[in-house]
Amino acid sequence: QVIELVQFLLVKDQKKIPIKRAEMLKNVIREYRDAYSEIVNKAGKTLKEVFGLQLVEIDSKRHIYILINNLPCTEGKYLCRDEEKEKMGLLLIILSFIFMKGNSVKDSALWEFLHLLRVYPGKPHPVFGDVRKLVTEEFVRQKYLEVTAIPLTDPQEFKYQWGPRAEQEISKKDVLNSVAKIQGKDPTFWASQYSEAEA
Amino acid sequence: ENREAVLNFKSNRLTEALEEANALFDGVSRAREAALDAQFLVLASNIGKEKANELHSEMSAFDSTAYAEDLLTFMGINRTEETDGDSEDDSGGFLPRDAWKKVGEEALKYFRRAPVFHFMLGSFKSEPPVPKQRIERQKKASRGKAKQAMPAQLKKMEESHQEATEKEVERILRILQTYFENDPNIPISFFDFVIDPNSFARTVENMFHVSFLIRDGLARIKLDEDELPVIEPTKPSGGAEEDSRPGARNQVIIRLDQREWK
Repeated sequence: QVIELVQFLLVKDQKKIPIKRAEMLKNVIREYRDAYSEIVNKAGKTLKEVFGLQLVEIDSKRHIYILINNLPCTEGKYLCRDEEKEKMGLLLIILSFIFMKGNSVKDSALWEFLHLLRVYPGKPHPVFGDVRKLVTEEFVRQKYLEVTAIPLTDPQEFKYQWGPRAEQEISKKDVLNSVAKIQGKDPTFWASQYSEAEA
Repeated sequence: ENREAVLNFKSNRLTEALEEANALFDGVSRAREAALDAQFLVLASNIGKEKANELHSEMSAFDSTAYAEDLLTFMGINRTEETDGDSEDDSGGFLPRDAWKKVGEEALKYFRRAPVFHFMLGSFKSEPPVPKQRIERQKKASRGKAKQAMPAQLKKMEESHQEATEKEVERILRILQTYFENDPNIPISFFDFVIDPNSFARTVENMFHVSFLIRDGLARIKLDEDELPVIEPTKPSGGAEEDSRPGARNQVIIRLDQREWK
């Protein structure tokens, strides 16, 4: 059962959409419900020792899991398709913007910023296609971004924050460092962000 | 609409707006205007809350415009001298094709992202229809050939069998005809004809062969006065026509086991 669960998790992770406990129970564990936690623990161990991946529960109430990389980031090449690379680039920029702006931005502010990078919500992008869909649906479903409605706004406005997957996969410190690198400044230039990242 | 401008923590616009509203309220006499005023207050308080938030976390100002500019530089933008007025390129210049890839490579260094899992030989989901068809066709092709080799052999065997059967049938027909010649118009008792007193198996075989004669219309079975089946060869001429009438054929089912035979 453990091996089946490991395979199930690896395949499910392809789309980077978080995995629910219910799905695991229904598709893999089935009759062995009682041994559920033991199986999950063993699967997590296998994932760590064999694949260098970590099974993390991002929602302890609803029991939702993701897979992240357990190994330290290496300077070497990370093998993946160009499409994935480009999306991660956009994501990093968005996450950086959110963090540097105090961990929460309004959707209008986000799009205003992306305009400066020639990325427009209404216009198909040569690299990303339907950017609005990518940001508001894909990144949100994958739990990289979290979007909440701002009350009492007419027309309805939303705010964007880091999602639980982003919290697990990347650190504020790394984000600040990347911003500092791009701008050719020292991270301590932004004092409050720096202290938050170091915390 | 000017939310961003108002939010800029350096501006006093919110205060100004509030003061203006205050002054206007003195002139309010109708309920509708009061409602509008209340709405304005709600909006103003929201903005006030946001400003307070921003004050709290934005002790170090982050200039997103500068960040964007630096990003474009990082992506390798080619800044041209001319600025086209109507194009969407705000700052002029265009991005190279690998602009976002560059950012992506930088980004991947920071993300602890689990590599996406791929089956080495390709995943099942997208491919099955094509290879399966090919495999099936190949299988069918090879199977066809194998079968053809076999049937060729089998056919030969079957033919020899058939020939044997036909020969037997013919032999029996001749015997029947010979008997009949001796006693024309007297049909022979079926049982007398087929039963071999010495062998049950032969008896069955005889019945089997006789059934061919009947089927082909070369012989006929009738029931005589004693309700016993009798057999007689059919006349060659005109026989075919007669027998093509629907009711002409009779079917007799005879059960014979060893005890009865004895």
